[in-house]
Amino acid sequence: MQLTGKKSIRAALAAATCTVLSQPLQASQNSDEWDVKSGLLYYSEADRVTVIAPTVSAGTTTESGDIFTLRAIYDSLTGASPNGATPTNTTQTFTSPSGESSYTTQAGDTPLRDLTDTRVVLGIDWESELSRLMRHTLTANISSERDYLSLGVSDTLQRDFHNRQTTVSAGIGLTMDTISPEGGTPVGLQLLTASSEAGGDEQKSSLDLLLGITRILNRHTLTQVNFSHTYSTGCLTDPYKILSMIDPTTGETVQNISGEFLYRHEKRPDTRTSDSLYWKLQHQLTQDVVYLSYRYFQDDWGIRSHTMDLKYRYELQSGNYLQPHYRYYQQTAADFYHHSLVDDGALPDYASADLRLGEMTGNTVGLKFGIPLSDGEFNIRFEKMVQTGESHPADAIGVQRNYDLYPTLDATIVQIGYRTVF
Amino acid sequence: MLHLLCVPMDISIEHSPCRSYWTGRFNAMASPCEILVETQDREGAQHIVRQLAAEAWRIEEKFSRYRQNNLIDRINHSRGQPMEVDEETTLLINYAAQCFQLSDGLFDITAGALRRIWSFQPGAIPPDEEKVQECLSHIGWSRVNWEPPTLSLPQGMEIDLGGIGKEYAVDKAAQLANQATEASFVINFGGDLFVNKPRRNGKPWVIAVDDPSATGVQQVGQLAVTHGGIATSGDARRFLQYKGKRYSHILNPHTGYPVVNPPRSVTVLTDTCMEAGMLASFAMLQGPNARQFLEAQAVPFWIVD
Repeated sequence: MQLTGKKSIRAALAAATCTVLSQPLQASQNSDEWDVKSGLLYYSEADRVTVIAPTVSAGTTTESGDIFTLRAIYDSLTGASPNGATPTNTTQTFTSPSGESSYTTQAGDTPLRDLTDTRVVLGIDWESELSRLMRHTLTANISSERDYLSLGVSDTLQRDFHNRQTTVSAGIGLTMDTISPEGGTPVGLQLLTASSEAGGDEQKSSLDLLLGITRILNRHTLTQVNFSHTYSTGCLTDPYKILSMIDPTTGETVQNISGEFLYRHEKRPDTRTSDSLYWKLQHQLTQDVVYLSYRYFQDDWGIRSHTMDLKYRYELQSGNYLQPHYRYYQQTAADFYHHSLVDDGALPDYASADLRLGEMTGNTVGLKFGIPLSDGEFNIRFEKMVQTGESHPADAIGVQRNYDLYPTLDATIVQIGYRTVF
Repeated sequence: MLHLLCVPMDISIEHSPCRSYWTGRFNAMASPCEILVETQDREGAQHIVRQLAAEAWRIEEKFSRYRQNNLIDRINHSRGQPMEVDEETTLLINYAAQCFQLSDGLFDITAGALRRIWSFQPGAIPPDEEKVQECLSHIGWSRVNWEPPTLSLPQGMEIDLGGIGKEYAVDKAAQLANQATEASFVINFGGDLFVNKPRRNGKPWVIAVDDPSATGVQQVGQLAVTHGGIATSGDARRFLQYKGKRYSHILNPHTGYPVVNPPRSVTVLTDTCMEAGMLASFAMLQGPNARQFLEAQAVPFWIVD
């Protein structure tokens, strides 16, 4: 018998105890408790749109270990957004799609269309364990705006390997959107003055595939690589974006016999295939944490983009933290991006003057301050984002050279977050 | 399930008379529990006490064999069907299996059935031999098919992690407290304790060891502890006196009978409460050889004979 006599079992017992206690602390799985996160986002572009969005989410763990999270966002958007037409040397007048109202833009100014919209997003996540090392998350979303309805479902499967040092994820998502533009869906590249019938609702659907691997490199370092592929089909054209028709010599916006300026509706391909590769590294120093990530994106519209993101969580003596943030973004233009169309009789297959499809560089700097509370956290984030593009492109003609064809976007973001347990 | 935040009166917290530490109290695992935190920060102390109480209640809820529909209950009603268990349970069962090996079968989580035939209430009588033999046929960890994380418990058998649970809860609570504070603290879950470090003045915490026959009334000694887990096995009030023979409540799963002539109580101090508890249990199972066994382990211990 091992116990009898003078034999010491202490070392073996100590080793066994150490193994049991090495397991990370479990979050208290109390099925009555709700982990509630609430936030208020304020996003404002100088002279453009302002969005105020309260968000709330609540998650609970059931007896069986499943986690349910309910999410809700309410966006209210006001302001104005570039309609795609370029500045010119005279006052421009635009008629709303319904034909009931019109707005004018002074000579030299970037034409902006007034916007007000509200959006409601509701979502549910259901995370459950399939086996000891495998779990999946099923997500469903519905998002509704005045002229847009989006339904989405996705499922992600995660499997742990190597003593849970490595996690492999695979996901699939489907999104079905219905677009009901104000005044109907316009015909791509048709002149706004043409009185042809606009179509009704349009559909758009997307398929997302994701493959990822997360690996714990050591006690302080974690890295993640994700690859995602998206295929979209249907109406990908923005019904409210237009392009100016430009005189090939003067660069002025062309007028018809009745003195009306000529603009065309934009038109984009009806499919889009994109791939993106994302890499993240998270490293804990003595106390502080560094987050570094990079994303490469490319699609068959000709857009290639690079995003670099750096955050540093600095732990203060008081237990609070400060987190500076810097993000660099750079993208090439879509093949069919044109700031305007030359009125020379030939029309491209596709064209859009949407600034978001143009070549641009973005810089974001921000600071977040967090106060951990006994049952959650309070934080506030302040960010400034500046996006610049080709203001004076080489292919600008005549008077166009006098104007800013890619106005700088200057946005301020303030977000307040509060997390607690009920 | 007990709800921590909605029923705050389950937990009380008060300043010690000398005003150097806060004491939080609550009940868990059928025992009074207390947490001493040497800090001036009431909210901080309260937060720690709440967290630790939640952890104690979580472990109790999950592993108590007295709860219906928890994991242990499901295993004990599995009727021989294989059951997959989660990672935490896997580790605890692995630990129990190792303790079974180390004690040469004296520590056995399937031995709980013996407690149904042995009663230590006043006036109880020992079960007859036939009953003991019948009971022994449903005992024995070596008959359980344990292929982590799948457990196949033969029909009629049951497991009970009660011999590990409270000490495990103390050590897990200590991990939580260590994460939450730099302050010196004492965790006491019904006599199973953990001390993280010396007090602010550099002095040890002084822990009174009760006389096993007069708990809370008479003390047999005081321990000065600066770090470690402390556990006690044995309770002199739980024994059976029958026809001039004294039966201790420590049951030997090999024979189905109480251990003969164990000490009245054994207290052990080691790095963790789990080790201390296991060494104290092993020592009791040694009967009169308890002292010899503990000396061989080279750990601080106190025996009340």
